[in-house]
Amino acid sequence: MKKKQAEGPSRREAIIDSLSLPKDILLGALRVTLTGSQEAWVENYKGILEYTECQILLQGKNCQVCFEGQRLSIEYYTNEDMKISGCIRCVRYQ
Amino acid sequence: MLRILQFLKGYVRMKIWGVSPERFLNLCSNKNILLWDICKDGDAYTMCISLSAFLQLRPIARKTGVRVVILQKFGLPFLLPNLLKRKIFIAGLFLCVAFWIISYRFVWDITLEGNYQITQEVFSDFLASRQVRVGMQKTDLDISDLEKEIRRAFPEITWTSVRLSGTRLEISIKENDAPMYTEPEVTEGGQNLVSEYAGVITSMIVRSGVPMVKIGDIVEEGTLLVEGRVPIYNEDATVREYMFITADADITVEHSLTYQDSLPATYIQKTYTGRRSSRPFIRLGSREFKLPQERPYLVYDTVIQGHTPMALEKLSIPISWGQYVYREYMNVEHEYTLKEAEELLMEKELHFLATLEEKGVQIIEKDVKIEEGSAYWTMEGWILVDQPTGRLVPIAAQEAAPEAAQ
Repeated sequence: MKKKQAEGPSRREAIIDSLSLPKDILLGALRVTLTGSQEAWVENYKGILEYTECQILLQGKNCQVCFEGQRLSIEYYTNEDMKISGCIRCVRYQ
Repeated sequence: MLRILQFLKGYVRMKIWGVSPERFLNLCSNKNILLWDICKDGDAYTMCISLSAFLQLRPIARKTGVRVVILQKFGLPFLLPNLLKRKIFIAGLFLCVAFWIISYRFVWDITLEGNYQITQEVFSDFLASRQVRVGMQKTDLDISDLEKEIRRAFPEITWTSVRLSGTRLEISIKENDAPMYTEPEVTEGGQNLVSEYAGVITSMIVRSGVPMVKIGDIVEEGTLLVEGRVPIYNEDATVREYMFITADADITVEHSLTYQDSLPATYIQKTYTGRRSSRPFIRLGSREFKLPQERPYLVYDTVIQGHTPMALEKLSIPISWGQYVYREYMNVEHEYTLKEAEELLMEKELHFLATLEEKGVQIIEKDVKIEEGSAYWTMEGWILVDQPTGRLVPIAAQEAAPEAAQ
């Protein structure tokens, strides 16, 4: 059973890769677009886990992503996407 | 655009704090509530939310244990109740809107372009006779009918376009550039062509008639150049009859013109003293209101400085204001120097030569001199020109003249 679960996503990924289909739509992968170190657009997240001026932690479908920096703020936040602005020092996946 | 919509719908800046503010944000996004400008402010968060969404927040706040406080209100829904209390402001607003709407129903300016031969005054008179005037209602104006009437009234206009641009009636016309063809006058008994100047014939192209001179001949003023009486011969070379036609030819004569011009030795120049005064005015259409004022100086000129607000100019509403500026000056008499007199006289001579050339006269040679008199500068001399000549004279009249002389 465990083996099936472990093999499942990789087989799916292989099929998606071979068909050149967008992973963010089919796998629900986080999509992060950075413009310099000042702005970041994030899509396909589940929600905010933590928000401080130095760190914004987001929950994705398969992983978490953490934006670290200074004076971080959320310019807008909807069900679809969000925009983070401020001085972004690091983007870390957990 | 988004900002305008947000302003129209109204939004608030709120502060939240409590047990789980992140969960509050997530629940808002799940309920498709847009939040923007989210900032961390100590233990609390501040953010903007639309007015309609704010009213849905109560269950979310209760569920997440978050307290919500409004910091600031923005937008029209919050401004409107305060505005409605100001009755004079509302009345002014309505009056302003009514003024624009009513003003827009009238023609406030008429512009004409493309006219060269037809003067502005003639055209204004024509428009006045057709009841097209400043201040008329747009609904009374039939544009296609006006275009037809313009073409009918002025045959020299080949194309016309009338259009309303805001409250301005723009009339564009195109006049016929080609010379108007006039039917040659048919005279009973025919016409001769006689010389207008005394000189030497330099070229001659005869289209109809019998040439009486040739190139190189010396002619006097009134000499017969081309005769309109054309003989028709019998087979034995005797004249059977005469046919009377109008002589037609292009003939040029080389002759000299005397040129004389003069310039007064002195001239009056305005010298401003630097003293000036102004008088404000306001103009409504053709009526003008200004402050009463006595004659400011003994000798002065006036400059009108007018202003029309941009909005009124676009709407072509004839309201303007400004001031009359009176500038005092003295009349000082100066004498022309030789150089100045030369320049002015040469300029006048060039203008005279240009006028001749426009008439098809070719200038061959000239000799003019400037002399200083007691009260005038004079320019005298002669100009040798090659000038088209030929004046039509009825045959009967010309034949009668020598008979009378005899």
